[in-house]
Order: sequence, then C-alpha cells, then structure tokens
Amino acid sequence: MAEKIKYNSSHAASWHGVFGLVIFVCLGFAAVYGLSNFIERNSVRVPEDYSDSDLSLEGKRLKGFSLGSEGLLADWYWMRSLQYVGDKLAKTDVEYINLEDLTSLKPRLLYPLLDNATDLDPKFLSAYSYGAMVLPSIDPKQAIALTEKAIANNPESWRMYQYLGYIHWRLKDYNEAAAAYDRGSQVEGAPRFMRMMSASMRTQGGSRDTARAMYQQMLDEAQDQQMISNAQFRLDEIDSLNERDAIVSVLEKFRHVNGRCPNSLKEIQPQLKSVVLPNEKQFKVNAAGDLVDPTGVPYILDHQACKAAIDTVNSKLPPG
Amino acid sequence: MNRSLHRIVCIAKNAFREAVRDRVLYNLVLFMLIIVGCAVLLGDLTDGQQDRTIVNIGLTAMLFFGTFISIFVGVGLVSKEIEKRTVFAVFAKPVRRSEFLIGKYLGLCLTLLVNVIVMGAGISLALAFAAEGRLAGTVWGSVFLIFLELTIITAVALLFSTFSSPSLSALLTFLVFVIGHLSASLLELAKGLGSQTAKFVFGVLYYILPNLAHFTFRTETANGLWPNSAMIGGGIAYALVYVTILLAIAITIFSRRNFK
Repeated sequence: MAEKIKYNSSHAASWHGVFGLVIFVCLGFAAVYGLSNFIERNSVRVPEDYSDSDLSLEGKRLKGFSLGSEGLLADWYWMRSLQYVGDKLAKTDVEYINLEDLTSLKPRLLYPLLDNATDLDPKFLSAYSYGAMVLPSIDPKQAIALTEKAIANNPESWRMYQYLGYIHWRLKDYNEAAAAYDRGSQVEGAPRFMRMMSASMRTQGGSRDTARAMYQQMLDEAQDQQMISNAQFRLDEIDSLNERDAIVSVLEKFRHVNGRCPNSLKEIQPQLKSVVLPNEKQFKVNAAGDLVDPTGVPYILDHQACKAAIDTVNSKLPPG
Repeated sequence: MNRSLHRIVCIAKNAFREAVRDRVLYNLVLFMLIIVGCAVLLGDLTDGQQDRTIVNIGLTAMLFFGTFISIFVGVGLVSKEIEKRTVFAVFAKPVRRSEFLIGKYLGLCLTLLVNVIVMGAGISLALAFAAEGRLAGTVWGSVFLIFLELTIITAVALLFSTFSSPSLSALLTFLVFVIGHLSASLLELAKGLGSQTAKFVFGVLYYILPNLAHFTFRTETANGLWPNSAMIGGGIAYALVYVTILLAIAITIFSRRNFK
C-alpha cells in the first residue's frame, strides 16, 4: 500500500515536471518571438544604396576551389540574377517601367552576377542571352562586354553574334550591328537570316521591318521564358505601332471628311476593316466590340489630338 | 588462382551484404528527395534552365554522397573487423590478408556502383519528367567518371584504415579528396615559385596525390557535352593504376600488422 502511494506520488511529480517543462518551453518561445520582433524593429537600417549585398560578388574566385562544382555555383548566380531583377521590378514604386531604360531600378549587381556565372561556366549560353536582352537597357557597355565574352568562349555559337548585333542595333550603331551579323553568318551552321540581317542593317537599320525580323527570329530561337516574353513584348509593341499608324491615318481621313474627330473608335471600325496591316496582321476587337491592342487592352481615343493611344494603366505596352 | 578469386568474390559479396544491412543505401532516399524537389521546384526559379540545374545538383550530390560512403564505410572496412575480432575468424580459414583486403575493397566498390546507377537513373527520370528528357542520356558519361573517382577515394580510405584510427583515416581521406580536386592549383603554385626545391616538391606532390580533376566533367555535362574517349579511356587507366598502387601499399602494411 505504501509502495502504491509512493508510486502515485512519484508519478504525479513526473507529470508535474512535464507540465512545467511544457509551460517553460511555451514561455521561452513566446519570449523568443517577442525578442525577434524587437531586434528586427530596432536593428540599424542600411542606406538604400547599400541594400544590395556585394559580399557574394567574388564567386569567380572560387573557380578551381569548388571541388569541380563550378557549374552548380554558376546556376546559383544565374538564379540570383533572375531573382534580383524580379525583386527590383516587384519592389519598384515607379508607375510605368520603361523597358528601354531600366537604370531607374538601379540594378547595379546584375552584370557582376552574370559575369560571375559565366566565369564559373563559360559555356552558360542562357546567362549570356539573358544579359544581352536585359543589360542594354541598364548599361550597353556591360552588355557588349558580356556578349563579347560569350563570343570569345563560344565562337561556334552564331546566336551570340546575333545578340551582339542586336545590342549594337539598339544603340543605333548599324555598321557595328551589320559587322556582328556578318561575323556570325560565317559561323558553321548559321542560318541565312544572319546574312540577311547584315544587309538589312546596312541599308535600313532603323526600320520597323528590320526590328520585326530580328524579334521574330529571337522568338523562334528562344530557349527560356525570359527571352520568349521579351521578344513577344517587342513584337506586340511593333504591331501596336503599326496599328496606331493605320488608325491615325483613318482618323485623319475621317476628320477631313466630317470636320470632327469621331466620338469613339467604334465609329471608324468599318473603315479600319479595309486597312492592310504589315505582315498580314489584322485589327483585333474584344467581346464588347472595342478595338484592342496586341495585349488585348482597348485603345483609348485621345480626342484633343485625335489619335489612338495606349491605355497605360491596363496595357503593358509603352505609350510612345 | 581460381580458388583465390573465389575467396575474393565471397568476401566482396559479404562486404556488399554488410553495407546493405548497415542501411548504406538509405542515402538513396535522401538523394531522391533532393532530385524530386529540384524537378518540381526549379522550373520557375531557373527560367527554363532546370535541366542543367538538375544535372549540376544531381551530379554534385552523387559525388558527395558517394564520397561520404567511400570515406565512412571505407575506413570501417578493416577497423570494424579488427575491433569486433571477427578478423580472427576469417584468418583462421585459408584466406590471405591480401584477398581479404581486395575482397572488402571490391565489395564497397559494388555498393558504390549500385548507388551511382540508381542515382543516375534518378537524375535521368527527373530530367525526363521536368525537362522533356534533355540531358537524360548525357549524364551517364559523368556518372561513370564519378564512379571512377569514388573507386580511388575508397582505395585511399582503405589504405589509411590499415594503419590509422577510423576518425583520423576519415579526416585524412577527406583531405586527400579536397587536395585531389585542387591539384591543378598545386601545379600552378609550383610554376609560380622561385625556389627550384619548392618547385620540385610541389611538382612531385602533384603527381603523387590523386588528380581527381581528371574525373570532373559535371559542368560540361550540364552544357550537353560528353567526355571524349581519351578522357574515359585515360580515366579508367588512371583509376586502375592508382587503385593498384594504393591497394599494393595497403596489402603490404596490412600483411605486416600484428593483431595481438
């Protein structure tokens, strides 16, 4: 009997111990939660320009010391570069992002990240092509440097010459662009398109047709989502420019005949049906019967200027 | 000769069974989790480059998992038998010490072979699932080179375990693994030194230590390249010669060892 009482009392003591421990752990974690938030709130904030960490930018020095895992490190830098630009775009408070000029985002680490990735894996073609697409709107010199590096490391890849030509074309340096396409056309397996682009650059470098041909080729050859999105965006932009030119021409005729600007774009839709757009494209109309841009957002009629304009709030296309 | 071979095969089979019983192959579960995780999660993170990332992560994980097995199982091959005194039961039978050592070595190599084949198949399947099969065949060149590298590391571990404690053997083998991947830098260092003696010492070290960079082809594989025949043939010959040297030294030391 005495033993049973002793057992019961020790059993109860053990349960008390466990109960006490649970309470202690819960209280402890509650304190940890509070302290974490306190430290986070009161930690020293770094200035905006210092928020980009430079500590990881010397990865190329690891080459030869990573036990043969350079490719894996290159992938890490590649993923960081994608997230880096993505974060910048997500966090920006700028209303309209001009894809021709991303300097407002201050993406100063993009080049070092891509440079590291391609130092660690000089054959990393996707990293070069991503740089060739995005860097020209940040720092064209860096874009050219990265693409020249791509050509030096991958002389057998005609696509790298295509990117170099593209960067020079964006800078309106048509002779350099033609030279790049010309060099690329001499690479074994290069498509005829390269030679054609070389000639186009010399004769009509600034034309919309040249731009369309270039982006269409990029879209056809694209191997990653970033390239596809970029080329598709540019093609939509060119289509929209062609459409707006045609709309303006019809609007002018309408005004000439009626002495006023139409009340809405629906009023000129019958005339637009007879308009032939470049590359056999056609005007698109949504379910509500509104004339829409290539991204599906209705055009706006600017009554004052009597022009069709992009709805900059809803459409992703640039207003210009 | 045939009897000797038969005894080696018996010991090798036992070493393989022992590794399986010790749940060495359980690492495959973790490896598969990593690969499946990569296949599922990397699509968005890599912007369509998940094939090369799966290859890079998969092959690197394969090398490191394999290396840890080589080191930790390799150093225990002999020491465990001595510690448990089972070595006396083996040597009471007509088994030479050299046969025992070679059998143990081959048993672990068989375990590693099964390991890399299953891991290679896992990577290929992940590529088939997540990357439309791109690089699914290409990885096998690198898988084979990784296996050759692991045979050398196993031989190094076995050698150290014949005369040193398991923990020290593991540490030394890991250092050889690291230095083996940096041996090209060792040669560069030798070239840059002014002193002729230092040049000679580093030059000798370069050739004495295993050059594991000969078996490193993971980054190239991720770019769709295959190791050429010289690399495969040279790699096989290098591994064979190196392993033979290490096993010869290990057998010599082990044969003179007094278990009393």
